Amino acid sequence: MNQPRSAKLTWLLIAIVGALTVCPVVMLALGSFSEGLTAFGVFTVDKYVGAYTDPAFRDVMLNTVVFVVCSSVLSTVLATFLAYLNTRTDIPFKFLFGILSIIPMMIPHLLFSVSWALLLNPSNGLLNLGLKEAFGLEEAPLNIYSMWGMILVEGLLDLPIAYLIIAPAMASFDVALEESSRVSGASAWKTLFRITLPVLRPAILAAFILGVVRSLASFAVPSVIGMPGRVPVLATHLYEMIATGFATDYGKAAAVGMSVLAASVTLIVVYRALTAESERFVTIAGRGFKSTVIELGAARMPLFAIVGVLSFVLIVLPVAVLLYTSFVPYSMVPSARAFSMMTLKHWRDVLGDPISILALKNSLFLALVGATLGVVLSVFVAYVIVKVKTRAAGILDSLSYLSFSFPGIVIGVGFMWFFVQTPLYSTIWALLLGYIATYLPYGIRPMSSAFIQIHSHLEESSLVCGASPFVTLKRVIVPLLIPGIVSGWILLASMFVRELTLSVVLSRPGTEVLAVQILRFSEDGLWGKLSALGIVMIAITTALVVLASWVGGRFKTAWGR
Amino acid sequence: MEIRIRGVSKHYVSEGKTIKALDEVNLTIPARKIFTLLGPSGCGKTTLLRCIVGLEMPDTGEISIGDELVWSREKGISVPPEKRGLGMVFQTYAIWPHMTVFDNVGYPLQVRGAPREEVRARVARALEFVQLAGFEGRPATRLSGGQQQRVALARALVAEPRVILFDEPLSNLDAKLREETRKELRAFLEKLQITAVYVTHDRVEALALSDSIAVMRAGRIVETGTPAKIYFDADDRFVADFIGRANLVNGRVRGEEGGLTVVDCPLGAIACQRREFPAGGEATLCIRPEFIHVARGEAPAGRNVVNGRIESLTFVGEHFETEIRVGENTLLARVDADAKFGVGDAVSFTLDPAHCLLVAA
Repeated sequence: MNQPRSAKLTWLLIAIVGALTVCPVVMLALGSFSEGLTAFGVFTVDKYVGAYTDPAFRDVMLNTVVFVVCSSVLSTVLATFLAYLNTRTDIPFKFLFGILSIIPMMIPHLLFSVSWALLLNPSNGLLNLGLKEAFGLEEAPLNIYSMWGMILVEGLLDLPIAYLIIAPAMASFDVALEESSRVSGASAWKTLFRITLPVLRPAILAAFILGVVRSLASFAVPSVIGMPGRVPVLATHLYEMIATGFATDYGKAAAVGMSVLAASVTLIVVYRALTAESERFVTIAGRGFKSTVIELGAARMPLFAIVGVLSFVLIVLPVAVLLYTSFVPYSMVPSARAFSMMTLKHWRDVLGDPISILALKNSLFLALVGATLGVVLSVFVAYVIVKVKTRAAGILDSLSYLSFSFPGIVIGVGFMWFFVQTPLYSTIWALLLGYIATYLPYGIRPMSSAFIQIHSHLEESSLVCGASPFVTLKRVIVPLLIPGIVSGWILLASMFVRELTLSVVLSRPGTEVLAVQILRFSEDGLWGKLSALGIVMIAITTALVVLASWVGGRFKTAWGR
Repeated sequence: MEIRIRGVSKHYVSEGKTIKALDEVNLTIPARKIFTLLGPSGCGKTTLLRCIVGLEMPDTGEISIGDELVWSREKGISVPPEKRGLGMVFQTYAIWPHMTVFDNVGYPLQVRGAPREEVRARVARALEFVQLAGFEGRPATRLSGGQQQRVALARALVAEPRVILFDEPLSNLDAKLREETRKELRAFLEKLQITAVYVTHDRVEALALSDSIAVMRAGRIVETGTPAKIYFDADDRFVADFIGRANLVNGRVRGEEGGLTVVDCPLGAIACQRREFPAGGEATLCIRPEFIHVARGEAPAGRNVVNGRIESLTFVGEHFETEIRVGENTLLARVDADAKFGVGDAVSFTLDPAHCLLVAA
């Protein structure tokens, strides 16, 4: 590749990605030292003093730490357990594990949280109503609006991503390490704890840290489950400062946000180091070794029952509850009477509600346009990161990874400080830019793996054949990239359809989006309308995911192998 | 088309260390000959090839192909690879998986805007040449390793390049196919009368295929010559050792006797091929195992007669490989598969001065 040309491209991309990712951070920092949105640049430290001496702040911090650590432990332990069962034992129906790992694509976190609230809220949760009827109880036995409820739901939500990190590491584990332990006289259990888990430690730790980052940034669970139960964590604490009450205070929010961001960035740096290490640790080139399968024997069915219950809880239950709620006029336990009373009222209400329709249109626009722009940018960035490999390309790599650590609500505050200074404020373009900046790493990743698969000889031989770099791009690189482009596009689009945390800050009247509208319904307790709109959202994302696997499959068969 | 390389250096920085991939390489590759760059991995041979083709840029020096200067840092000349008019066969073949055989082979013509009819005719001719006539419509992913290799060759040839370059093109084939393909390639190239530059670390491949070999080590060209010259008459100890199995024995030059150079070494006084070494200086005696003809029992002392004892025998199929102890040294030799020797047997052999090679110590 022509060196000066690729250097120019690298610096152009650094400028674009830098503007997208560094700008909100800088604005957040400046904003935290400013008087207010309208008094930007008037220096003050009052916001820090106010935010961190607030007597409520200590409780918020404590709650946050408990919530974040416990939910991450839950997701990591469950993921390790599932990964071990799938990769190393003879558990039946292994396809379920694959389904379990792509669920986050299908069911938005917000709706997952809502479905648990519908089941277990103390006033009319379906499960609570059922238990009260069955045992003649006066009070609801379970209350999801509590710390344990938040931990449970967040832990389940982060389970698939932890599984996706741990399972491949376990699958590529060299069995000889274990076998030599067994030969040396260690029992299966001893080998598990002395050899298997220690060797996998980087991957397990990485999964835990990613869990911490994600639960720290999580807004769906704290808002839907934590707020009614008055369990504030940092995300909802921030949200209260900017979205509720009479005096919104973006300066104070920025001051608190700075420490959330700092924690998040630090954790992601640690995470990257760990994943790099785990790749080094467990890289056994495909020598075609076959991992020995551990026979579970009598424990096979009970263990499978656990997996079955988890799959049911993660996949079937949320959708079933939402679907059911969207058709019954008010909360009631499923019964013959409930089914006879089913109505399309909520569906008609939602589809006749101008704001819901506007939200639907906005979300679709953001998904289609945003994903397209995001993918175009990702293609160039991934190209430079994978193929150019200069020091500047390294900078771009780090820059593009930065937004991976952005907690949506915090970065939303940063963007707010920025957009208020521009005519973009309260337009759909503000959301568009924010989405692309925050979710860029998700577009870049499938693209870089696509580029990595394209051996540099394929490109070089085109140049030697006399094709210019442009013709090479058009005739060799892009056709080989199409599967990556398609899956990157779908990934971004389905994330944009359900985007909540950033939108909750940046969305204004006129720029409502689906998730924000659903949150409003949830705050007002309009469960029927919420469920109907939620089903629409799930339908859109599911359609996108199915389309992705179909298109990907077609290209795969078209090119063989 | 002659290729001239003058003072080409290139270094990499890897983990803080500077690695000299090419160190002041001067080389003239003759026109219409098969020229091989041979050396162990990491010696810089592939880097040199990639500099010729334009995929990498040297730090200093000049490269010209024919009359055209294609690279010169001093003069600021850098012709991109697509303008150099070369053909190349990559180690991985680099067959584009999303195209048919026809599109793969026709690509160099298509990108130059050749008319459709001409592309069709020339692709057909190129495929016929590599004995793949009729494969045009085959998807590239449905080719065997040997077929991919031939498609890559057809693609490199189709635009009638000035020079064709090969980067270890046989290393991905299994042993039997490699031997067949090597013979084919030799036949193809002889028919074409084209300048070919071939990179390999396989000495047998280099010897069998080349008109001329340049042996590289640590970014430098150590020695250049015909295969026979490199094998039988190397000037450099590294080359002698690398190009084939060799017994290397250190000695001291006694002087010249009757057109031969005599060296004193642990084997005795050995008369060798004449070499310009000063008497009294150190030199290394190089004897290839296949030229040690072992006879049973001790032999009376004589010129170049060596007595020893069999230390080990290894049956490798075609023959025995044996180690013969002579004083402090052990020499590798061959014994016929049907010879009845046993470990510990006393043996003797007489060295032909023509096969006793002296190289600098």
